[in-house]
Amino acid sequence: MSVDMRPADNRESVSASPTVRSTWRSIRVAVLLGVLIVATAVAGVLLSSGDRASRPLDPDDTSLAGAKALAQLLRARGVTVERVDSVEAARARSAQGGRLLLITDVTAFDEGRLAAIPGDRLVVGDLYGLDDLAPGVRSLTGSPRERSREPACPLPAATAAGSAYLGAAAFSAPAGATGCYPAGEGWTLVSFPNAGGTTTVVGSGSFLTNQRLAEDGNAALALNLVGANRAVTWLVEPETPPVGEPAGPEGVSVYDLMPESVTWAVGMASIAVFVVALWRGRRLGPVVTERLPVVVRAAETVEGRGRLYRARRARARAADALRAGAVDRLTPRLGLGSSAARHEVVGALAVRTGLDARQVDAALYGPAPADDAGLVALARYLDSVERTIGEL
Amino acid sequence: MALTGRAGLLAALGIVVVALAPRPGAALAGVCLLLAAAVVVDLLFAGAVRPLRFHRSGDRLVRLGRPVTVELVVENPGSRRVRGVLRDAWPPSAGVTPRTIELDVPAGERRRLTLTLAPTRRGDRESVAVTVRSLGPLGLAARQGTHRSPWSVRVLPPFLSRKHLPSRLARLRELDGRHPALVRGQGTEFDSLREYVVGDDVRSIDWRATARRHDVVVRTWRPERDRRVLIVLDTGRTSAGRVGEAPIPLAGAAAGGGGLLAAPDTRPVPGWPRLDWSMDAALLLAALAGRAGDRVDFLAYDRAVRAWVAGASRTELLTSLVNVMAPIEAELVEADAQGMVAAILSRAKRRCLVVLLTDLNPAAMDEGLMPVLPQLSSRHLVLVAAVSDPLVAAMAAGRDTAEEVYDAAAAEQARLARRRMTARLRRHGVEVVDAPPDDIAPALADAYLALKAAGRL
Repeated sequence: MSVDMRPADNRESVSASPTVRSTWRSIRVAVLLGVLIVATAVAGVLLSSGDRASRPLDPDDTSLAGAKALAQLLRARGVTVERVDSVEAARARSAQGGRLLLITDVTAFDEGRLAAIPGDRLVVGDLYGLDDLAPGVRSLTGSPRERSREPACPLPAATAAGSAYLGAAAFSAPAGATGCYPAGEGWTLVSFPNAGGTTTVVGSGSFLTNQRLAEDGNAALALNLVGANRAVTWLVEPETPPVGEPAGPEGVSVYDLMPESVTWAVGMASIAVFVVALWRGRRLGPVVTERLPVVVRAAETVEGRGRLYRARRARARAADALRAGAVDRLTPRLGLGSSAARHEVVGALAVRTGLDARQVDAALYGPAPADDAGLVALARYLDSVERTIGEL
Repeated sequence: MALTGRAGLLAALGIVVVALAPRPGAALAGVCLLLAAAVVVDLLFAGAVRPLRFHRSGDRLVRLGRPVTVELVVENPGSRRVRGVLRDAWPPSAGVTPRTIELDVPAGERRRLTLTLAPTRRGDRESVAVTVRSLGPLGLAARQGTHRSPWSVRVLPPFLSRKHLPSRLARLRELDGRHPALVRGQGTEFDSLREYVVGDDVRSIDWRATARRHDVVVRTWRPERDRRVLIVLDTGRTSAGRVGEAPIPLAGAAAGGGGLLAAPDTRPVPGWPRLDWSMDAALLLAALAGRAGDRVDFLAYDRAVRAWVAGASRTELLTSLVNVMAPIEAELVEADAQGMVAAILSRAKRRCLVVLLTDLNPAAMDEGLMPVLPQLSSRHLVLVAAVSDPLVAAMAAGRDTAEEVYDAAAAEQARLARRRMTARLRRHGVEVVDAPPDDIAPALADAYLALKAAGRL
């Protein structure tokens, strides 16, 4: 056993840990790619600084959906345009009087408090709190297509402007209101006295945008509606919508009540978790794999065949197999060849064992058993015949 | 590098410090800096792992089922003490204990570590890597490094059937004429001439020699010697099936319970592959035939020659056989019987006993061996030895419920097909040994002795 059949291994050990150089060599492509991606992203952000996302109908927005062009026109005509992003600011401005409140979106505001601000009001679009902002004006079902429409009404602002690009929503006019730019059953512009001034509702703000202002009579209509007053309070969505923080009765949140050190302790806890993760995550050496041999029991095919017999209740085949096996074992003991005929086997068995020849014949060559109990009985009978022959 | 539990504990204590400190922000920064500084110091003062050197010694050969020790000498040529843990990574079936070893090597010294391997499978097991984690003085962080220190242990077939060898050798000696059975008969060859003594068979008097010597001279006979035995091991898919109970638990045997159907498995744990039982039988036969003075060659074949041992001297026969058998695994391909017969015919020029260790699977035999068997049996004496499945025999005896009888019918069908295959082989003049795994080795040895006694080699 001492014969070594293989060449002697190199007994010297070699370090397999990566050196700093080899680590750098293996990851440098990934590092360079990462740096490239980050640099591209940073450069993109820097180059496009100030180019915020498009804010529709914002007086400072220069994109197609913005309305800076209109704001500039108004200022050129001596109208003060003030951009506000809270109800409180709008209310403070309204105290001076003679102002128009331009409302394009109410998602970030409380429409009830907004409706309480007195003075002229221009509501753009079928907004959520229309019932509060313009009482009596209802939005009709179905939205007419946005297109150039004729005024067809006595409202001076509309008749002076002529056709304009309107649509998207149609409204019913309350008693005493003037409806213009009809669409189907209703109007896309409704003007009526309300809240100590005139409230005007238009179906869409497309005619105010930088894109559409130069078309049709859009600019004239916009200036007639918005520029009728000395000053405009232009209400826009706040840049950062207020976070819905659950405030207590005195406006003090849970976080205000917590000592400052808790936040820091949580930070330290996450660092501790990270350290523990590093400790547990470092493996002592590589995972070793090996090719394992297949594990298949040789009897699996036989078991499978047995299950098939069971599943199909194949009594005829099962009985045939049991009988063939019994005959194969019996014939040499009876002194017969493997090709012995039926009557020879039955005759020899009856003579040797003294069993009834017809019973033996039925067991060895008869019809298949009718039920499972019959199959079990047949198997046991064959066993007893073999045992009898064996004992002779 | 690696951190320890102590570093984690320190970080956890830092939570309390930060929570109670009057200025928590500063406390957090302080704790983190302190921890980082301690880790850096620990790493700087930990013993270097890269310059460590490893030397191995110990056993390279072991029989399956026996433990083997491998020694690993760790030499620390660095200037600092290396203290920590070491793991010598071997494949799972090498059964290495302990998994990790505490290590403490002062600078410039060496330490001898002893590993015990209890392999659970035949074949070559190679050490993959030695990993050392060297702790710093504070025990917060450690340097870690991996070395390759190659060493391989060849796990040989266990040759469990050698317990049958003495009784078979005794029967061989009976044949050999050390007992007074110097009767001329088949299975003998001319040995020498000697003077007639009363009681000798008069038919063995050599009249020609008697005339020359003026004395009555008889011929003596002895069993034939220097016959050739070629043991052919079929390593195809049929030899992968597991039968019997593993005398030594094999790796992966326990994992076989699940399978594709995740039904609760109450059936017995699969045993050894047919291949391992066949190897056991082949080793007993080779040992016996070697002692009987026959020349033993060995061929393992599935679709190509897996192993070939020829002309080994009698003293080295078993050694070389277990060595070539050790890495052989059953390939999951259909064996190429035509190629196997061609390989046998090209290697065995003179008439010999071809012992074919395969399975009597009727489908595989009909497709493979049966058409080409006449080529082989016309030139050589062929003995087919197959391991039968005791589980099938147990199934065939089931009578308790209808389900068991259905299984019994399936088992009966399989056994009948096997018996018919045996009968067909015998009609071709092929000897057949079909025995359960525990009996295959002695049964094959007995068949060989019977052939030898009958002088059919």
